Amino acid sequence: MEVISLFIPCTVDLFLPHIGEATVSLLGRAGVRLIYHKEQTCCGQPAINAGYREHAKKAAKHFIRVFGDDEKVVSPSGSCVGMVKHHYPELLAEEPEWRRRAEELSLRIYELSQYLVDIRKIENVGASFEGKVAYHESCHILRGLGVSEQPKRLIKAVKGAKLVSLNAADSCCGFGGEFANHYPDISESMVKDKVEDYLSSGAGVLLVSEPGCLFNIGGFISRNHPGKKVMHLASFLTENHKTMNNTR
Amino acid sequence: MEIKTEQFSEVAKKTLENAQSFAFLKLRANFVRTRRETALSTFPDAVAAQAYGAAIRAEAIARLPELLEEFEKNALANGARVFWARDAKEANEYIVHLAKERGIEYVTKGKSMVTEELGLNEALEKNGVKAWETDLGEFIIQLLNLPPFHIVGPAINIPVEKVRDLFLEKVNLKEPTLDPVQLGYAARLFLRDKFHRTRMGITGVNIAVAETGTLINVENEGNIRFSKSSPRTQISVMSLEKVVPTLEDALHLVRLLCRNCTGQKLSAYISMDNRPKKNDEIDGPEELIIVMVDNGRSKIYQDRLARHAMRCIRCGACLSSCPVYRQIGGYPYGWAYSGPMGQILNPLLLGLERTQDLYRATTLCGACKAVCPTGIDHPNLFLQYRAKDVLGEETFQGKKRPPMERVFFRVWTWAVTRSWFWNRASRMVRPFINKEAREGMLRRVRGPFEGWFRSRDLPAMAEKTFHDRWEEMQKVEGRKTEARR
Amino acid sequence: MKQSARDEILSKLKSAPREAVPHRSDRPVLKQLSLTRDELIEMFSKYLVQETGVVYRVRDRQEALEKLSQIALEEGLKKVMAATDDIVASLNLVDWGKKNDVGVMTARDFGSRDSYIDAVFEEADAGVTGADFAVAESGTLGLTHHKDRPRLLSLAPILHIAIVPVEKMVAVYEQAVEKVFREKENLPSQFCFVTGPSMTGDIRGVQFKGMHGPRKVIVILIG
Repeated sequence: MEVISLFIPCTVDLFLPHIGEATVSLLGRAGVRLIYHKEQTCCGQPAINAGYREHAKKAAKHFIRVFGDDEKVVSPSGSCVGMVKHHYPELLAEEPEWRRRAEELSLRIYELSQYLVDIRKIENVGASFEGKVAYHESCHILRGLGVSEQPKRLIKAVKGAKLVSLNAADSCCGFGGEFANHYPDISESMVKDKVEDYLSSGAGVLLVSEPGCLFNIGGFISRNHPGKKVMHLASFLTENHKTMNNTR
Repeated sequence: MEIKTEQFSEVAKKTLENAQSFAFLKLRANFVRTRRETALSTFPDAVAAQAYGAAIRAEAIARLPELLEEFEKNALANGARVFWARDAKEANEYIVHLAKERGIEYVTKGKSMVTEELGLNEALEKNGVKAWETDLGEFIIQLLNLPPFHIVGPAINIPVEKVRDLFLEKVNLKEPTLDPVQLGYAARLFLRDKFHRTRMGITGVNIAVAETGTLINVENEGNIRFSKSSPRTQISVMSLEKVVPTLEDALHLVRLLCRNCTGQKLSAYISMDNRPKKNDEIDGPEELIIVMVDNGRSKIYQDRLARHAMRCIRCGACLSSCPVYRQIGGYPYGWAYSGPMGQILNPLLLGLERTQDLYRATTLCGACKAVCPTGIDHPNLFLQYRAKDVLGEETFQGKKRPPMERVFFRVWTWAVTRSWFWNRASRMVRPFINKEAREGMLRRVRGPFEGWFRSRDLPAMAEKTFHDRWEEMQKVEGRKTEARR
Repeated sequence: MKQSARDEILSKLKSAPREAVPHRSDRPVLKQLSLTRDELIEMFSKYLVQETGVVYRVRDRQEALEKLSQIALEEGLKKVMAATDDIVASLNLVDWGKKNDVGVMTARDFGSRDSYIDAVFEEADAGVTGADFAVAESGTLGLTHHKDRPRLLSLAPILHIAIVPVEKMVAVYEQAVEKVFREKENLPSQFCFVTGPSMTGDIRGVQFKGMHGPRKVIVILIG
């Protein structure tokens, strides 16, 4: 039986643990054995994004120590996976042994839908949902990892669900971590556009594969369009339809 | 040109509040994007074509000094003159001197971003030489004293009413009209007179070819060709990075430039200059003077990562693809270059300290990188600049970050490498964060988070983190296994 | 002795960290190279017409002159400035002009550069030139500038008429550039690729032809 090590990003661990639970449930259905390293903390994205590379290196090394011996690592966050795959090797470029370990790890780490569809060859996870849904293409997942077909295949295989097109689906929602807090005028304008596109798509639910996007779009919807639904793909696929407003 | 990079947020706010500007930007972005994609599809393999463009520019930058020497050797052998300028002061002084020496009253100028960097027009005018911008968009913003809105269409956002009023006042427009075509013809007549009598033309350079010493300009209007054909003196201002190895390379880049820039297979005019006119030619310049401008580039070149920014061929595709630019237009970027192009160039040319917002006001979405025909990784450059800033790196005038932030990251690093502390600390901080939680959502958290909470909620920190839930799930599993035995 | 700007700049560049020249994959193939001449002519015409260019095909010089007469009537041409390159010279336009009541000037008529420039800006209703190449890939003309084909002829008048024997048809820009730039010791002062009339979209993105250069381009293909 394949053994999968769960990488649950800090955003999910602390604020959206139900997505972690949904991930566990999904992978369970995929017939894998799960392990979860309690020593995991954060991939280091906040530090590298803020320019604190020396600090980010420490986070990277911790991560590699925690996950370095795992066969495969899977996460419900594309930006974190991207961080490990694309940034760890160059961050650790000057320490050849660490760099080698980072490069090896980068070959064994996957975003959730990427793992299910490409590695496990699963598209139908046995879920059902009556109605139209739309899918927002997160920047890190689409452009960072080249993952776009996989989530859509999983969605289309849900019995009763109709995936409708979302205008400017691949356009950034305006999260960008600190960006949303430091440049609120611009960020707000971007998320407003994204939500308008969602509202005019005719979909009853907006699906998102990235916790950051979920915070951003979900947070805006919670404040301004409280009746509307946005959820993580993992929640949708496990029919654990906890939206942002109901995370208990 | 005045540097306003420090007013980024203010100016962005103004644009966002200007509904007309806003609507225009939206429509424009979609239109330009579609047009570009259609044009690129005329390549048998657009991805390969873009990758090849990146390879050409990567080689050009890797071999920069030797290519510049080869270019100069050939240009001189052809009969051109080459003047090297370390900075704006040297370049401007030289060009002003040339104009004064020849008794020039006015020059006609083709659009040239490097001359905007230099502030050449101001230097000329201070010395009694009028500089007429002749590209229609540049002409309009020159008269309005505005910065460029977009590298390709500097005045494209200006409402037609404003252009009409401007032309009635300053361009001999006879009848008021809102027809852009009629307005354009008024400008044509006005500027035609300048072309007719100009004695000095100043243009930029799109591409300089090392193997032959050839200068290439790409345009649709004809104003650059006029500025190189009508006067007796031609001055071509080029920054160091414009050089490429061969004519074949240049042609490939021209194909990419036209498609990425204006969605055309080829612009109306591609003019390739080798030398001043031959003795028996009746028009064309009697002297062709190339001004080779450094203005910070040899410094940038010392940094193997930062120098990637020098690959840029100024096509502007990044502007049109950027979700941030699409909201705020060109003005907030505060200098000659705007959009992602400005975000990678302005910090290197002006210093990291005064361009803080330029490499931070981005979500790192990567749309720019995805369209760039020279393979520039903009998001990576932004991260590099942030890192240099944190280190207070002198070469690029990094500023060093506020003490609170530095303390925060020190604590954060300590926590991130010690999961026991990480978990305990989150538990401790939860009541503070969740103070004002209602129904599982936060509408406000005290501290520097006002930007977020202005328009968004956040889920409350979970009572049971995933860590906790996993522990529970394991216990339940353990009990189940026990029960089965 | 203070280092010259040139030496200072170059030495800074040379002392920077070197990097290996990245490997290039093969140049993307130019698909038009496999087309026949008729296919090239068709492609050339299609693309130039898309840019509002007008393309006529005639069999020989006689028909070309007849076509010119037709154009002169349609466009109301009173005076034109003609190149004296081989192609245009072979048409004997001065004679044609007399028969068609069109004044035909050439650069040679003018004693000074300034008087020539005045004429090409203010008197010529059209500029008539030959072309060294017609490039099918985008409906583009290739014009070498020299004493018999001054630059402003195809730029200042509002109408540009180009006479092009079909033998000048090529598929891609490289074929033109290869020939023009072959002799490094004898390069032309300027070579231009011209695709249709001058244009702009700088006012609210509204595109129109005839910004500073010609508003109309007519190509007469002979052969």
